[in-house]
Amino acid sequence: MKPSNKTVALAAAVALVAALAGCSKDGAKPASGAAASAAAPAAGENPYAALAKLPDWSGVWEPAMFARANAPRPSGPPAPPKFTPRYAAMYAAYQEKNKSTPGLNFVSPVANCVPPGVPGSMQQPYPIEFLFTPGRVTIAIETYSMVRRIYTDGSPLEAEPDPSYQGTSVGHWEGDTLVVETAGILPETSPINGILGHSDKMKVVERMRLTDPDSLEIKTTVEDPEVFTEPYTSTFQYARHRDWKIREYVCAQNNHDFVDEKGRAGFSLDHKPGEKQ
Amino acid sequence: MKRGTMTRVMVTGVLAALFSGLASAHHSTAMFDWGQEKVLEGTVTKWQWTNPHTFIWVTVKGPTGAAKQYGLEGMSPSWLARRGWNGRTLATDDKVKIAYFPLRDGRPGGFFVRVTLPDGTVLQGLPGAPSGPPPAPAPAAAPKAAP
Repeated sequence: MKPSNKTVALAAAVALVAALAGCSKDGAKPASGAAASAAAPAAGENPYAALAKLPDWSGVWEPAMFARANAPRPSGPPAPPKFTPRYAAMYAAYQEKNKSTPGLNFVSPVANCVPPGVPGSMQQPYPIEFLFTPGRVTIAIETYSMVRRIYTDGSPLEAEPDPSYQGTSVGHWEGDTLVVETAGILPETSPINGILGHSDKMKVVERMRLTDPDSLEIKTTVEDPEVFTEPYTSTFQYARHRDWKIREYVCAQNNHDFVDEKGRAGFSLDHKPGEKQ
Repeated sequence: MKRGTMTRVMVTGVLAALFSGLASAHHSTAMFDWGQEKVLEGTVTKWQWTNPHTFIWVTVKGPTGAAKQYGLEGMSPSWLARRGWNGRTLATDDKVKIAYFPLRDGRPGGFFVRVTLPDGTVLQGLPGAPSGPPPAPAPAAAPKAAP
């Protein structure tokens, strides 16, 4: 989406005021389009004031695919991923399973209540919300009560971040599109349904924007030269609910599902310790 | 097509559409005979309004009178709460009819699909499953028939 003339004018004004006030923030990415979050505020300026220029992503966002079973996908069914030989074999086995067994056939340690990793944490069935604070976009995810912190203060992505489930993310605004880059995702997580594991070279780029006043689209590109022969892009849509509230979701509360040491799915009919029979 | 097969195909198709392209759902459904509905009638022992799944513990009287406890997991409150369910939807001692996908290994458990409350209200427990109760084997006016 191209910034409007008004946005460009505002951006120029903010930059001018910052320069005149002697703002010396270095390393900030040059403001492109919405100038809100990259530059540090001038001395005395309330850092929250700049957030008012960001697009309205308030409310709670429901994954559109789960709102209606037959929700149309604007870009049609995704093109199949292109894998390196080892991962192609893993994916072929998964597709065979899908042909022979109804239901969901991807077995992963998420059944044991560890998070799915990225982009998996953004592809869960329950809603999410975006919180804007100075130099940061925080995504609160209802499923498993997860949080992703995206640093929009101009910090570069670390060369070798400590691996974690949500990875390490930086972002910047291009007009009204938030572009997020994530690396350092724990290599035992899943890059795509059907594949378990990836290399430490995996990188995810997400482009997030409103496609209409109450629809948010996230275009996700996953690249990992050990898994994919070319980057794989998929699109996920969200629908806004201004009156919804994010619920708590603690996976360990009453989990009867599990994956054993051999990677087999199981289901326990045991009662939890202390639980009345 | 037999009703069971139709259910299986419909539910599989819907779930495939719902979950395709996702990195992962909470867990696979490999332990259940997914799409093959069974129905039980029993008395609720406990209704757990919890994550990652709600849980219905229900006591079913066998044909010889011996009681067996079933454990049925269902969708998360994240899904159910936004479709009319809550922590008081079921109560201990409620007499209910439950359609569910059974565990493949024959243990008394499964994933609940649809619940008929004591007052006859039918509640959907699963996205895309056929609505309405399973066909009754005998007319409603007749004395209680086996499911």
